[in-house]
Amino acid sequence: MYQTKGNFIRPEMKISSLIFENPNLLLLMEHLEMDFIVHEKTVKQLCNTNNINEELFLILANLYNGFQPTEHQNLTREDLNTIIKFLRNSHNYYENEKYPEIRSFLNQLYLQNNSAEIQLIEKFFDEYFNEVKEHLHYENRVAFPYFNRLLNKVQVSTNEKIEEYSVNEYQEHHTDIEFKLNDLKELLLKHVPVKNDRVLRRKIIASLCELENDLNIHSTIEETILIPLVSKIEISDKTN
Amino acid sequence: MIRQIKNIAVLEPSQIVFEGFSCILSKSGQQFHLLRTDDLSEINNLAEHGKIELAVINPSQIQNRNKEFFAIKKNHPAIVWVALVYNFFDQQLLSMFDKTINITEQGDSIAEKIKNIGNSEIHNSFDTEHEQLSEREIDVLKLIVKGLANKEIADSLNISIHTVISHRKNISQKTGIKSQSGLTIYAISNKIILLEDYSKQN
Repeated sequence: MYQTKGNFIRPEMKISSLIFENPNLLLLMEHLEMDFIVHEKTVKQLCNTNNINEELFLILANLYNGFQPTEHQNLTREDLNTIIKFLRNSHNYYENEKYPEIRSFLNQLYLQNNSAEIQLIEKFFDEYFNEVKEHLHYENRVAFPYFNRLLNKVQVSTNEKIEEYSVNEYQEHHTDIEFKLNDLKELLLKHVPVKNDRVLRRKIIASLCELENDLNIHSTIEETILIPLVSKIEISDKTN
Repeated sequence: MIRQIKNIAVLEPSQIVFEGFSCILSKSGQQFHLLRTDDLSEINNLAEHGKIELAVINPSQIQNRNKEFFAIKKNHPAIVWVALVYNFFDQQLLSMFDKTINITEQGDSIAEKIKNIGNSEIHNSFDTEHEQLSEREIDVLKLIVKGLANKEIADSLNISIHTVISHRKNISQKTGIKSQSGLTIYAISNKIILLEDYSKQN
């Protein structure tokens, strides 16, 4: 997990100081489509203005500050909407911002360090990102539409259950994705020789760490917040 | 990977003591995630799910449950067990813990103790990464890069699959790289294989 020296966030804390302490919180706000001009607002006020459940915001913000969610969450069906919004926007961030950014750094790197290893690194990154994309598209195609139907209480047919959004397959996929990203960082930092490319390499490694951090948070949200919540809603729908 | 956040389970019936402990740690400048539990079985549950690296326990909570505690401890050797002591306890009971914290200790020294537990683990993980690959591991690596499966590697080196798997594990631990394509780039960068040979087979 990415290291921050953040505080444990509480409702009465001022959001601007928290952002200065951990600027990654801006990414959280971006994913939640919140306004960045926060004035002197506290976390509580920020949530009220943006119509976001304070408890959910605290769980997510604390995750960005390095605290894992606890098992006691009082989230409801209404929060599902916010979580899906967050996940969709983070998909967009990976595909349309982070990937092109790292890709273009790698292109420049090859221009400065015209070695076979860099060429292989480019290939490795493309293959890696295709796997990520496959996973993201699966969520967009299969998982999110299912959650939306659940959210709108549309009758879900019996053969279409949470099992389809297979948690096991997921975890395997997640682990694989994490391995490869880590391999890239290791190779660029420890093994592939530098040829006058220090500045670029620093940018690439920093960018890979940012991507890794957000991907980790993404999968933690799915595994420890989203899936338990969905199971809870399914059970309550069944008994009603 | 270095894990700086320590997940700590605390089994302490007194709210005052728990809050005080938690406050001391939060002032230490390092992040800890405390999970307050009511029973030993809850700690066991957290341990089973890999959620904690450290457990701080008031020894009164395991009195008369020595056997159960011993079993849990044995099943989770990676977890560090710390006694939080403010009554008199039998030495035998205390000897079951890895470390003790006394209620009269200064806050700094308590935080320091917990920090040191984390640091010693971090040092261990650094040590292993400095090692070089052995000749045999290099043989295995060459075949991994060629895309051979474990069974094929075992046959061609005349060793068991079990040995191949253990070599693979060591290779990943030493290099920090787990995927086949990542290891290929590693092997080329470190001149273990020649690029021309690699290009030929692809």
